[in-house]
Amino acid sequence: MNGLTDVQAVVTFAWWIALDLSVLLYILLDGADLGAGVFSLFVRSPRERGAIMSAMAGTWDANETWLIVAGGVLFGTFPFVYGSAFNYLMVPLALALWGMITRALALEFRHLAEERWQRFSDLCFGFSSLVVAFFGGMAVGAILQGFPLTDTPGRVPTYVGGSLRFISAFSIWTGIAAVLAVTLAGLLFIRARFEHSEPIRKQAAGWTNIIFFLGLAAVVITVVTNAVIFPWAARKWFGPHFWIWGIVLLAVVYAAFRMRVASRHDRDFTAILWFNAAVAIMAIAMMATVYPWIVPNTWTIYSGASPAVSLFTFTLAMGGFFPVMLMYNAYQIWVFRARISALAAYH
Amino acid sequence: MPASPLSLFLSRLDFAWITSLHILYPPLTIGLAILLFLAEWRWVVTDDEHWYRLVRFFEKLFIVNFGAGVATGITMEMAFGILYGPFSQAAGPFFGQVLGYETITAFMYEAGFIGLMVFGWGKISKGIHLFATFNVALASTLSAFWILDANSWMQTPAGVALQNGYFQITDWMAAIANPDVIWAFPHMLVAAIELALCFVIAVSAWYVLCRRHVVLFHRPLKYAVLALVVIAPLQIYLGDGLGLIVAHDQPSTLAALEGHYHTYNPDGSVNTSWKVVGWPNAKGDGMAWSISIPHVLSLLETHTWNGKVTGLDAIPPQDRPPVVVPFYAFRVMAAAGGALMLFAFWGAWLAFRRSFTVDTIIHNRLFLWAAILCGFLPYISVWCGWWVREVGRQPWVVFGLMRTAQGVSHMSVMSAALWLIGYMYFELIVWGSTWYFFSKVMRGGPDMESPVVHGGTQRLGALEPRRSEAPSYVRPV
Repeated sequence: MNGLTDVQAVVTFAWWIALDLSVLLYILLDGADLGAGVFSLFVRSPRERGAIMSAMAGTWDANETWLIVAGGVLFGTFPFVYGSAFNYLMVPLALALWGMITRALALEFRHLAEERWQRFSDLCFGFSSLVVAFFGGMAVGAILQGFPLTDTPGRVPTYVGGSLRFISAFSIWTGIAAVLAVTLAGLLFIRARFEHSEPIRKQAAGWTNIIFFLGLAAVVITVVTNAVIFPWAARKWFGPHFWIWGIVLLAVVYAAFRMRVASRHDRDFTAILWFNAAVAIMAIAMMATVYPWIVPNTWTIYSGASPAVSLFTFTLAMGGFFPVMLMYNAYQIWVFRARISALAAYH
Repeated sequence: MPASPLSLFLSRLDFAWITSLHILYPPLTIGLAILLFLAEWRWVVTDDEHWYRLVRFFEKLFIVNFGAGVATGITMEMAFGILYGPFSQAAGPFFGQVLGYETITAFMYEAGFIGLMVFGWGKISKGIHLFATFNVALASTLSAFWILDANSWMQTPAGVALQNGYFQITDWMAAIANPDVIWAFPHMLVAAIELALCFVIAVSAWYVLCRRHVVLFHRPLKYAVLALVVIAPLQIYLGDGLGLIVAHDQPSTLAALEGHYHTYNPDGSVNTSWKVVGWPNAKGDGMAWSISIPHVLSLLETHTWNGKVTGLDAIPPQDRPPVVVPFYAFRVMAAAGGALMLFAFWGAWLAFRRSFTVDTIIHNRLFLWAAILCGFLPYISVWCGWWVREVGRQPWVVFGLMRTAQGVSHMSVMSAALWLIGYMYFELIVWGSTWYFFSKVMRGGPDMESPVVHGGTQRLGALEPRRSEAPSYVRPV
């Protein structure tokens, strides 16, 4: 677990950035899809609900795969973390997985189902999106709290503790906060994907205000809670470089403000970009706060890294595949960019 | 962390269940992607509308199958860490790296191009669309390679040394090019192609039998049967090659799957018999009864008349795998593979006798029913093959180096049971939905009326249309 060469330490750090980038891309892209799913629970017209699924038809699969990439990078570069953290998160991961399976089925099979089953299918789509967002958020909160490891000499430290250890007031909170965040992303997504005259855009606009302020409150509560219960966070935020964190906070506030302005003027795509900027800044700030831990008080990125980490693999992945994946994910979004109406049948 | 025998057994059952219910889908995705590419290529080159109709029709079935594969596959990635955390940590430096390769080079690549392939008709040019289909076929094949490589390493763990509780890589190339994968990957790839061919055969035969779209489906039926004439024997050859590796590098596995308990006969001569059927005795040190053919085992495993094949009696009792599952799974798999080959020869003979034309095949109901049955045989073979492989490797999770009991996550019996029940429910729903929607697409039949969609002719619109523009209705397809 220790004993990385200097080159390996640098490569490990670079892989950690890649991991965080994958998770961030997943949150930004699939967050909108999940949020649109949560919102669909409150949409009355079956045609409009179907149109929401059409809106993400060409891209949802590629969006979700960033999570798979994150899992792959985690297993490949930080197998000691992977094996212990996933044991710890057994329950929320299983529930989130079941949510993803249900959502995949609902999305792919809706157009083939008979009408009387479509209401049920739509409920599955919406509810499963909610489940994924909630338990995903819960998993993040649970990770921030760390977990106990065995300490047998000559053996890799592995998780000890029951299957319910991940539950805490903090992790339940992060689950709720995640649902709020994705709902906001989903609302912006719907406003951008539907034609201007569609009634669903007005319904979404009505919601955006409330969810925005709830989301803002959630961010404030989460940041304050972090500072209070995590000494590793407080030390960085109130340490000698507090002013840098202050600038970061201002940047987030600015991005949120620009998002509101764009949203009010119906510049929907611009609003999404500013929202993503705010989320990205917060994510990067979180990464910088957590470093060098990957699981606070449990694994650092260096202690959890595979001793087989290699520059070759990294160069191949980041120099070759990641750019290709980013390019064709962007190309896909470009190809399917046209706004749709509620009449857009899914096939 | 030693788990109780019951929770260990339940964990094995958990993993067996989710892998078995996942392996139903990727082989068709891989094989059918290749066939879709070939068919679409023929359309682009010849402009024959029938090729287009076939591509659009089989693509609908492809999407249903792919969705099921993704739904069950995401589980797999997480399941290693959840159910086999200590194994994931110990094997991580190699196993995790290879699965990481699969995710990056294959899975992500494939998922991106599938979107274009399925929804890009009319939005992108014919050439780009064909390129997208090609990439789906290539990426899914790459996926198969990496997954097989990781599993093959578990069977023949080359290039590693177990130190400080984890597997340090001493020789990357030896680990990646381990003895098992050289034969196992081609065997799996050809299995996927065989399964897709049989799927096309069964679907086409059903339409011909129902006298629907006979002219359209006669072509894939005939071409696929003729392709099977090459593929089915090839698969048997590859299986034989893989068997030799198992005999050489996993003698306990080979002994179990052949029910081969005694290396030598009571008179001291080498035991060369191959058992057709049999059942282990209560003590577990021999067969209670069996029907055997002399010399066949030696021929199969050493390619000589009297070669010695290690029996279970030469393996310490605690290192012996269970016998019944590998023994019967192997025989069923081989029997199904043999039946497919015979069916293919039958079809070839019909073609040679000019009895495979549209007018003649339509009356050969026996052949058409056999063709439909053949649609199911590869699925049984794939299942049985994997059960041989995985149960035969027990009690090892990394053969000869790490036991399954050492690799399993610390899970209470309750957690393992809840996981099993939950996943039985989910996987069966996925399977049931897939089956239901396959039938629905088939009952609906191919779309022969919609205009043939050529290259990108659809106006895609600007990102932020000017206010004065009237909204334009855009179909996603």
